[in-house]
Amino acid sequence: MSMVSRKRTLFVALCVLCTVLFAGSAFAEEKIIKIGTLFPLTGPSAVSGQNCLNSVLAAAEVINNANPDLNIPLAEKAGLLDGYKVVIVKADHQGKPDVAKSEAERLYNQEGVFAIIGSYNSSATKPASAVAERAKKLFLCGASSSAALTERDFKYFFRHAPTDAIESKEFTDYIEYLNKEKNAGIKTIGLFYENTEFGKHAADEGKKAAKEIGLEVVADVPFNNAATNLSSEVQTLKAANPDVVFGAALGADYSLWVRTMKQVNWLPKMAVNYCTGYQNPAVQKELAGDGDYFMGGMSFSPELAQKFMPEAIKVQEKYYRPLANQEFDSDSLQEGVMLLILAQAIEKAGGLDTEKVREILATETFVSPLSLSGEVAFEPGGQNVKALSVITQMKDLKYNTIYPTKYQDSEPMYPMAPWDKR
Amino acid sequence: MDNFLQVLLDGVLNGLVYALVAAGLSLIWGVMDVINFAHGEFLMVGMYVSYWLGFILKIDPLFSWVAAGLFLFILGAVTYKIIIRNSLGKSGMAPLLATFGLSMVLKNFCMNRFTPNFRLLSGTILEGKTLSFGGAIISVPQLVTALFALVVLSLLYWMLKKTRLGWAIQATAMDKEAAELMGIKTENIFLLVFGIGGACVGITGGLMTSYLAVYPEVGGLFSLIAFVVVALGGFGSIPGALLAALLIGLVESFSGFYIAAVVKYVAVFAVYLAVILLRPRGLFGW
Repeated sequence: MSMVSRKRTLFVALCVLCTVLFAGSAFAEEKIIKIGTLFPLTGPSAVSGQNCLNSVLAAAEVINNANPDLNIPLAEKAGLLDGYKVVIVKADHQGKPDVAKSEAERLYNQEGVFAIIGSYNSSATKPASAVAERAKKLFLCGASSSAALTERDFKYFFRHAPTDAIESKEFTDYIEYLNKEKNAGIKTIGLFYENTEFGKHAADEGKKAAKEIGLEVVADVPFNNAATNLSSEVQTLKAANPDVVFGAALGADYSLWVRTMKQVNWLPKMAVNYCTGYQNPAVQKELAGDGDYFMGGMSFSPELAQKFMPEAIKVQEKYYRPLANQEFDSDSLQEGVMLLILAQAIEKAGGLDTEKVREILATETFVSPLSLSGEVAFEPGGQNVKALSVITQMKDLKYNTIYPTKYQDSEPMYPMAPWDKR
Repeated sequence: MDNFLQVLLDGVLNGLVYALVAAGLSLIWGVMDVINFAHGEFLMVGMYVSYWLGFILKIDPLFSWVAAGLFLFILGAVTYKIIIRNSLGKSGMAPLLATFGLSMVLKNFCMNRFTPNFRLLSGTILEGKTLSFGGAIISVPQLVTALFALVVLSLLYWMLKKTRLGWAIQATAMDKEAAELMGIKTENIFLLVFGIGGACVGITGGLMTSYLAVYPEVGGLFSLIAFVVVALGGFGSIPGALLAALLIGLVESFSGFYIAAVVKYVAVFAVYLAVILLRPRGLFGW
């Protein structure tokens, strides 16, 4: 090698070294907290997954920017601790449990995220949170409602949403109220649910709660999600003709279920839904009048928020709507709430020590203006003991709150109006 | 008895729709020996064409199926010209992988442009219309799609059996080189076959928007069932595809109602496996 080319090589090597060193110091000075999100961004639940992601992104904006107009903890100042910004690292589990597991591993091990928020589908949340537990990393869950998730005695798992067990109890309380106060005469029940972790668990809890108030289960109809048709499923329900149906069908399956019932000209007296396509305003918009009179458990509705969660409306208009082009829904909002709760815990811990943050999450009560109860606190296992939901009924694209009576803004419309009288 | 009739009619109507979805696939497979993995996505594109025509220009699916069929004819022909033609003869897997890639492109393009939202057309001419027959209720949008399926399949069968084009297609399917020696431009035949295959699924998609939501993943299970129908009916056989689709529809419907709704697809694939084990060339294949 000639002297000139040796000098040139040395110069290039020095340049590379300097670049790496300066870049390294620049990264070291960058104060960021990486938070992973793991939602179904493609697949049958993609609409809900996108909404959940947008909700977390909106919550990150609340944390990262100074928002003196928002009466939410940490909103006033920009960033966390001494100027840390939250950076969201997105992942897609496609609604598949195996993908959720591998993506959780990737987020923790390769992306180096501090915590994961997700994963909407209980069937995906289950393996992904198991990865977190083994790695002793935090996993925060907004909307997955399978009660089994918080019955595993996990230490690093925290969930905001009311469980299927809580919702089932609320549904049967409402049925008792209708039977007593409105002489509704509800005696039989049918269950219509997707054949997944979420659906099966919801149905089990529904059957248990129904048994407690003496309802007879006359139809138990699981279905495969993303089916080409639901003719036999609806036909089975129609043949059994239950007074009330508890439904657990997400997204496109929900709209197909409603449309198929219309096709066969049948409805139960009442249909109540777990966290499903019912809660998604986009699905309701597509169904138009066909979605009327159906009911469901919700932790948020625009109407409810106007009265009890005004800050949620402000966040929605400032950050969520520009991203999602629609209002919050019950499921998506709860995912964003979990980022706000995590931010409070990090702030209280004074740093990014996972154990300290976990301890604070497990022991303290958090102010949460974006939750219906206004507070969040987790019991051992990670369930939010302050979780609250109400029963709403859809009419003219509005979610009217009908139960508990404390929150009621409309009289329940019972029984559902038949298809030919709408 | 009411239930039996209802289940029977549901099975027949669903089966006819499956037949129309599968017809194009069967034709392409039979003539070119190419498995079009993007077939489900072709269906989805046809549904989007019909949906947007209905949503923006207020054209009912009863009419927009023409545009959906035409659009998919062009998409099928372009797919052949750009993708299939270049991958034919390279390796057995090349066309299959190429169409798989195309399916990903189409799905993700629609996901990106139209979001994963479910889109339902409201206020269509046939919406909510039903007929009562012996105590059973027939959904008119599904009935119309099923009748279209019969007409399109009959035309396809007639074209293959009675026209010079059909004979040329059959000759190409039997022996490409011999067909070329007879003066048949096999290149054009392949192009037409891919176009016709696309048009069939486009027409189905166009009509299905009158009762089914469209979203980027809607074609998934339909295409899987179409593969089963084609393999069951016999590659390249249109009557075979029709009868196999009716069988699939009936198995799905009866098992779903009389055994359990959740096992209906298990029953469908079990029948498929049984037939393939006992008669590998399908029920009506040669």
